[in-house]
Amino acid sequence: MQVPKILPRTEALTIDAVAHCTDFAGAQARQAGFAAARVDEVELVVEEVVANICHYSYGDRLGNVELVCRVTDGPRLELEFADAGQPFDMLSMPEPDLSVDIDQRGLGGVGVPMMRALVDQANYRRDGERNLLFLVFDSACRLAGPSQVG
Amino acid sequence: MESTVQTFANVVIIQVDGRIDHSTAPEFGSVLLPQVEGCAREEKKLLVDLSKVNYMSSAGLRVLMIAAKGCRKQEGQVVVAGMQASVREVFKIGRFDMVMDSYPTVRDALAAISPAAAAIYVDR
Repeated sequence: MQVPKILPRTEALTIDAVAHCTDFAGAQARQAGFAAARVDEVELVVEEVVANICHYSYGDRLGNVELVCRVTDGPRLELEFADAGQPFDMLSMPEPDLSVDIDQRGLGGVGVPMMRALVDQANYRRDGERNLLFLVFDSACRLAGPSQVG
Repeated sequence: MESTVQTFANVVIIQVDGRIDHSTAPEFGSVLLPQVEGCAREEKKLLVDLSKVNYMSSAGLRVLMIAAKGCRKQEGQVVVAGMQASVREVFKIGRFDMVMDSYPTVRDALAAISPAAAAIYVDR
């Protein structure tokens, strides 16, 4: 009989969930053998996702954010975020028009394009009272390496 | 994250060292945003030296946006210099090329925005 593998998981209250989940996912990516630049990309997305969960799903109120990690062959890093806030699907958020003049732009709006640029697969579903967001990162960097300056 | 602030002629250079993320962005803001005051036309310009920043999330971009909007209101200018490739890509995803000018080095930036500052600039 195959013993079910216990996946690395963490959880944190919204008050410190961003830093906690970002550190956890970064450590998992490093342990999986991802290059430093790709670890940064994973962290950029996790920071964005968890900040959005805290703000939109929980409305900046206290709540719990859970993150489960799985490393598969490739290596690939699979992250599942769960929260018990109001229904919130980051993947269906409209992409803001960032090409407008600075006076017409808000202060944010970078999160969704950032996620689209850096994640290889993404799925969302509402499971009972919980939001589940599933992201997959291949090990290949999506952006340029960290060493060049210009 | 660490930062230093230096003034050369009419340019205030804010050099940041380390990560600008959700945790450190408030500190970045507390250094940069007070400098926006008085940043008008040729009187005072801001230059953010990012050459020692190896990670910047949207929380950092948000601070830059607040600075840019504040400067715009006063007909002032904030520019960035020395972005590492990964930071430059984040800048590009956020279309910050539409928000502020960027230069490969501090010297390049000074040459473009203030010849007076460029003439006396000493790299630390």
